[in-house]
Amino acid sequence: MVSIASAASTAYDTRPDTTSRELFAEAAAEAFADAALDPPDVDIVYAGNFMGDLLEDQGHMGALVADHVGCREAASVRVESACASGGAAVREAVHAIEAGAADVALAGGVEVMSIADIEHVTDALANAADEVYENEQGLTFPGIYALMARRYLHEFDATREDLAAVSVKNHANAVDNPLAQFRKELSVEEVLASKPIATPLVLYDACPISDGASVVLLVSDEFAAERGLDASVSVLGTGQSSDAVALQDRASITRTPAAERAAREAYADAGITPDDVDVLEVHDCFTIAEVLALEALGFYDRGEGVRGAVEGETALGGDLPVNPSGGLLGKGHPVGATGAGQVVELTKQLRGEHPNQVAGADVALAHNVGGSGASTTVTILGGG
Amino acid sequence: MTVPVPAWFDDLTDAIDTEEAEYRVCSACDAAVLPPRQCCPECGDTAFDTHPLPDRGTLRSFTEIYVTIPAFHGETPYTVALVEFDGRLTLTGQLRGASAEEVAIGDDVTVGTERRDEGARLVAFRPVA
Repeated sequence: MVSIASAASTAYDTRPDTTSRELFAEAAAEAFADAALDPPDVDIVYAGNFMGDLLEDQGHMGALVADHVGCREAASVRVESACASGGAAVREAVHAIEAGAADVALAGGVEVMSIADIEHVTDALANAADEVYENEQGLTFPGIYALMARRYLHEFDATREDLAAVSVKNHANAVDNPLAQFRKELSVEEVLASKPIATPLVLYDACPISDGASVVLLVSDEFAAERGLDASVSVLGTGQSSDAVALQDRASITRTPAAERAAREAYADAGITPDDVDVLEVHDCFTIAEVLALEALGFYDRGEGVRGAVEGETALGGDLPVNPSGGLLGKGHPVGATGAGQVVELTKQLRGEHPNQVAGADVALAHNVGGSGASTTVTILGGG
Repeated sequence: MTVPVPAWFDDLTDAIDTEEAEYRVCSACDAAVLPPRQCCPECGDTAFDTHPLPDRGTLRSFTEIYVTIPAFHGETPYTVALVEFDGRLTLTGQLRGASAEEVAIGDDVTVGTERRDEGARLVAFRPVA
């Protein structure tokens, strides 16, 4: 078993005066202090980062951040799976420990985005799409999710108001999360009245542009016992799968099969079913994405995922709280950090330390997506 | 970053212009694919049959873009569409001759191309009158 010795995030916000190395070091310093571990204890560093080379003109992020957190002698690697880089970094670390190749792994992610103007950030994000068949045709990332959303509204009994309910719920959750970027409640009317970005999606159907870092210190059970660490939250299972990068190459654009496959693998790895999950953090980069996630993860039938937010089932006090952190919509989405950030939020839930605590949470699930679903990781945590 | 348009995409758009475009269908599992695939994404097979790309298809989805990327700076709003051919192959391009408000999923459109600055090529769809 692989356990979590500590997990920490910077606040997610716009911090255009900062750099990835600073943000990652800020999160890591908190994690080391909390775990009573020292940087030389780390065997390997996995740094999720999507666009450092595009916006900061900085590649080689693995070694750079390892050096800046005091792990110069550890092995290090940058993990890039678009917006699933953080989730993939955590999964790589779990595998390294399970394989016996490491006792302590620092897995995390970082992104600095607000230094660029909106068109250049949109351009950098578009690197997760098919350059020739999509970007050269003028398709943007919001546009890709808009194509999925319009088709969803066409195929199923769902409305723009239903999608807006996802944004309303997640923004409400962000209000009490001190690490969240957008701590302001929105109404359905305010969401729908925001400016269009790619119809039928509007500004508040979309997550903000964010800077931030999140890290997780993962340890083998043997190491935790030897050092007397409080590592009561464990990784019960993980899964990851891929899909066509271009939307045009998918048989359905209202399903996310990579998430279905990643979830199946993670449930089997953890030996649980969706019924066992108490709380989720899912990749709601756009409102439609949370709906598709809940269907792919097995919580709702196809076409029914909007019910969660509309009927309150996925609200903080509902039967299945989804994104109590505020999600990407409310908490923010520094793309390379997000997957690790979800694990940070869920670790707090399982320890009973979250500002939006879900009572009695024993099993938690994180769902992290790269592109429009071409990379997906699912991480299941338990204990606490 | 500006990168050259790959030769296979030039070849495809040239062929669309002269109504000679083709797509390939996996001999083993019937999955339809576009250039430059060398193996079937569904089953891994490498044998394909060739089919002519019809000159018209149907709108699978579309979106009017308001926030764009530098290559399309100043062109918003414009509409990007997914168009399905023969019920099994989809191409991405821009809608011409109609606004997003004037079309619906399932509408028939024709396919052509436009040449942009620096030689980039755009796939362009027009509603069937």
